[in-house]
Amino acid sequence: MHEQKHDLREAMVQSFIKAVDRGINLAVVVSDSTSTSKIKPFAQKYPDRLINVGIAEQNLVGVAAGLSLGGFVAVTANAACFLVARANEQVKNDVCYSNTNVKLIGLNAGVCYGPLAGTHHAIDDISIMLGLGNIVILAPSDAIDTAAIFDFALEYEGPVYIRMDSDKLPVIHNEDYRFELGRANLLRTGTDISIMAMGSTAHEAYFAGQELEADSVQAEVINISSIRPVDKEAIAESIRKTRRVITVEEHSLHGGLGSIIAEIIVEENLQAQLIRLGIPQGQFSKAGPRDKIRAHYQIDKNGIVTAAQKLLQTS
Amino acid sequence: MSNQFKLQPAQIVEKAKEIRKKIIHTNVRAGQGHTGSDLSEVDILASLFFRILNIQKDRIDDPDRDRFILSKGHGVCGLYCTLVEAGYLPEELLDTYLQFDSDMPGHPVRQKCLFVELNTGALGHGLSVGVGLALSAKKTNRRFRVFVLTGDGELQEGSNWEAAMSGAHFKLDNLVLIVDRNTLQLADRTETIMGLEPLADKFRAFGFEVYRANGHDPGDLIETIESLDMHNAMPKAVIAKTIKGKGVSFIEDRAAWHHRIPNEAEVLTALEELE
Repeated sequence: MHEQKHDLREAMVQSFIKAVDRGINLAVVVSDSTSTSKIKPFAQKYPDRLINVGIAEQNLVGVAAGLSLGGFVAVTANAACFLVARANEQVKNDVCYSNTNVKLIGLNAGVCYGPLAGTHHAIDDISIMLGLGNIVILAPSDAIDTAAIFDFALEYEGPVYIRMDSDKLPVIHNEDYRFELGRANLLRTGTDISIMAMGSTAHEAYFAGQELEADSVQAEVINISSIRPVDKEAIAESIRKTRRVITVEEHSLHGGLGSIIAEIIVEENLQAQLIRLGIPQGQFSKAGPRDKIRAHYQIDKNGIVTAAQKLLQTS
Repeated sequence: MSNQFKLQPAQIVEKAKEIRKKIIHTNVRAGQGHTGSDLSEVDILASLFFRILNIQKDRIDDPDRDRFILSKGHGVCGLYCTLVEAGYLPEELLDTYLQFDSDMPGHPVRQKCLFVELNTGALGHGLSVGVGLALSAKKTNRRFRVFVLTGDGELQEGSNWEAAMSGAHFKLDNLVLIVDRNTLQLADRTETIMGLEPLADKFRAFGFEVYRANGHDPGDLIETIESLDMHNAMPKAVIAKTIKGKGVSFIEDRAAWHHRIPNEAEVLTALEELE
């Protein structure tokens, strides 16, 4: 792990620039979200490829679908909360059902906008996207993961949703990491407990794994950045080994990573204990500083360690 | 590229008659359908597919072809019957309309039907996608034009106005919106439910060049559309005055026929009137 922290959006924008450099016919569509997307370096180099539709999310997605039908690889970049809620029908019909070559980027997802409260939180984006056909769902966790995921997505033909974080985050993947669709990333191996996390909570899981090791607990930490398709085999293999699972997500417990893992446990008859950490279903997240929100819902390092100790005590 | 038929208005009137008969037969056979909506748009579709649109059967994927989006996706039977009449689709396919897993479902699906650019059916989607397509043409110096056909009740969807604002902002003179202005929507008259007038002024205020045409007169539609200035930096709206259910007296201008099907006796009368 490298201490230096990177804004994942900067890695995203560099991927955009490199994609055009190598001949991809890219158009990035924003809805007044030029600062949200940190798109300036791209806009300076390829001003004609950036389209701003103003504060109009339905039009954002419809225009992107039209651009893709006209031959562009179209990317939308705006806050996840407005993308998935305001433009839901455009996402469903113009992108997913019509199977257009659009990449939907949900920026500042989860509770990145902590104190800005419920209107700005996106704790339902994964569950909403999972209900739609044809769409690949990805959630990078660090700058290396982000670059790899965008390099993949811009070459992939068809709808993709990418859940993005706003924090500056250290690197938890090796330089030789390669993203593979439908493949889980093992961040550390262990035999006592499996911790599975999505997006930036992979960092909390990673550090919890380190802390548990000091207590002689061998935690296996898996970053699930490919949500659909998901790596059922690797997930089941880990659970068969440890029989104890914690899932961690900055998302509602309805229809997120925890739900996916619970389905796998039941369908594969894995006989495991499961603790799902996230925002309880049927609730909006509390508002406030993000670290306080994470602590409240136990989706931080300490919460994961506590959950792990509980699981180890009861079995 | 040019239109492969290039028919004269009088020939298009004959084609429209055949399309209307197919619509009656197809909806009756299927047991359901949007008969009134289908009949409303026939002369517009016939004018587009037999004269205006630069499309050809052997070049269906040509990036320079004109694009047409049926934003009022519930009028899909009108589109299927037009495509069959033009020989783009086999006539037998109409027998499968609305059947299980048919290539002719009740709203258009691009994966299943040629010249369908977008899966419509939810209202207020076509114009935004049309804006994106027209913008793609501008950005790649292609000369194709984009035609979007909406219903009128559909214009109550706010997304249309987001799209209209952007079409003018991006100076999309290659974008033509045609409004099937039959003044009826599912429940009642548009002006009773949620008034649209003054519709032309609204589009003008949004930066469109606005024209009115008789939506049942191919001559008028063709003259209006062929004389549009496609290089004046303004998107166009053609408000086509139509009668819902046009061509069959007892269906014409009746909200109840938005998705009703004629019974046996009514079919005979309808086909007689369409001769």
